[in-house]
Amino acid sequence: MPGKSNQQRLALDALNAAMLPVLEAAGAEFIDPDIIQPADVFLERSGEHIRSRTYLFTSPDGEELCLRPDLTVPACRYHLETAADPAQPARYCYAGKAFRHTPGETGTAPVREFDQVGLEVFGAGDTARDDAEVLALTLAALQAAGVSGYRIEIGDLGLFDALLHSIDMPERWRNRLKRQFWRPRAFRDLLRQLSAGKRKTRTAISGLLDEMEESRLDPVAFVERHLEAMDLQMIAGRTVEQVAGRLTEKLMDRSQPPLTAEQAGLIDDYLAIRCSPPEAVERLHAIEARTGAVFAGAVNLFEARIDEMMAAGLDVDGMEFAAVFGRSLEYYTGFVFQIEQDGPDGASLNIAGGGRYDTMLADIGSGAQIPAVGLAIQASRLLDVAGGGA
Amino acid sequence: MNGSSNMTLALPSKGRLREAAEAMFARAGFEIVKTGSARGYQGEIRGLNGIDVAFLSASEIAKALKDGTVDLGVTGEDLLRETIAPENPVADVVLRLGFGPADVVVAVPECWLDVAAVADLDQVAGEIYATHGHRLRVATKYLELTRRFFAGHGLTGYRIVESLGATEGAPAAGSAEIIVDITTSGSTLKANRLKVLEDGLILRSEAILAARREAMTKPVVANLRQRLELAI
Repeated sequence: MPGKSNQQRLALDALNAAMLPVLEAAGAEFIDPDIIQPADVFLERSGEHIRSRTYLFTSPDGEELCLRPDLTVPACRYHLETAADPAQPARYCYAGKAFRHTPGETGTAPVREFDQVGLEVFGAGDTARDDAEVLALTLAALQAAGVSGYRIEIGDLGLFDALLHSIDMPERWRNRLKRQFWRPRAFRDLLRQLSAGKRKTRTAISGLLDEMEESRLDPVAFVERHLEAMDLQMIAGRTVEQVAGRLTEKLMDRSQPPLTAEQAGLIDDYLAIRCSPPEAVERLHAIEARTGAVFAGAVNLFEARIDEMMAAGLDVDGMEFAAVFGRSLEYYTGFVFQIEQDGPDGASLNIAGGGRYDTMLADIGSGAQIPAVGLAIQASRLLDVAGGGA
Repeated sequence: MNGSSNMTLALPSKGRLREAAEAMFARAGFEIVKTGSARGYQGEIRGLNGIDVAFLSASEIAKALKDGTVDLGVTGEDLLRETIAPENPVADVVLRLGFGPADVVVAVPECWLDVAAVADLDQVAGEIYATHGHRLRVATKYLELTRRFFAGHGLTGYRIVESLGATEGAPAAGSAEIIVDITTSGSTLKANRLKVLEDGLILRSEAILAARREAMTKPVVANLRQRLELAI
């Protein structure tokens, strides 16, 4: 489509005019972040799966730029560059275009731009209450837009983190499990490998590890001698100490006792949870009884969030909690939610979503960590689903 | 590129690929003659009606197959796979031609003694982000092949640095940490003190005859395929 017709434009304007006051009434300042953004912050933050869909270009003065693929990062940059003290609480809302290349079915043109309405809440507050409020605001905005009959799925990435920290294992194993969390199959393979206790099949560097095991040299000296013998210089941003450190960890893995069946079972039992949030609280308590205080803290936060949702009048029994939800959403750190509705052809459409991303502002330059939680509503899609814009 | 109802076959216009392709067509009994001016980029195959020839660079051939400006082409499988997404491909391999072998591989600095496989890169990427504040950088001209391969391995903490030449020098030059590149004997990698990861083979490529999907079933293509097959 070459653009919006007058009628479509009016329908979108009407949607925005209905939804934005809901967000502004919650204390959000309506801002208009730049469409053209420095490419680096998106590329370093999101990696190739976003880059491959982002419109990148070079400015006449040589700067690497992009059309914003979302409005969350532009809102974060706006906050960091304009707030007198970025750590102080602030709320922003926006309505505008985001640009992502989405290939069409064969024979149809790609979709390149879509309209988004969103809210970001920055700065320390009451975590459970802020999380619940952001979901409540999403639903209030959808109601103002005349949308109903959707499904709500929620998740909590903080629970998984806390569970791993409640289970006794080397930190490097936790990191590996966390990194593979995004890939269900690889995660299962890794968990099986860590709990099987059998030595991994030999790799191209097993021989080197054998030598290291026999050697009387300390790891750094061992690596230095080996590099010297091969006439190799360290290149590509890593140090002898880092290489020696990872080799040492690999050696330690050889003698590390595997995860027990009970420990692996805890992880399996947690990941299997998919039910209404109140029922999930019960099941989380059952797991909590088998773990330590770290997980109990995360369960408390989950429960407090559910309480806040109920206090805000949300129908929590109608929602679904899935322990694995959020697996595909890399930058979130805690509460996550997604709202789906059936499109005109019956296929499920993701019409809104959001969550907590407490490390993003620090990652793009705030220095100290500043908590953040936000929502985004796919305004273009609301026009396609029943009731939207009515 | 094709005014008549003839199909267009794109052949490499330069280099070893061109020589090998021409030799193979000659063995199959096809004489390729240039039409138009002596330096022309068009031709025909004597003894095979219904096919016009266009001479293009190997990478242009993959793009032309994608766009549909040619129906058939001889190019490298690496270029075809890089240019045309594997799900629902608009063009695919008709015949592997048995020359121009090359592997597309992931290679890392030899001095990374602790790195054997793609799984190690995941941890090293985390380490590099923590130390330098940037992602693990991968120098390559194969953007799509790299993305697909790493996505299949669940590696996310990297960033591609597009490289249009001398890719294997990037780690030593400091413009990237690792590379995805083509190798035949491995000697260029070795000279640059790089090693291939043990599960780092992305594609075993060779020269191929490829066709647009709608051209695959044409009798003239079957004929071409049959005679080329005997000349491999």
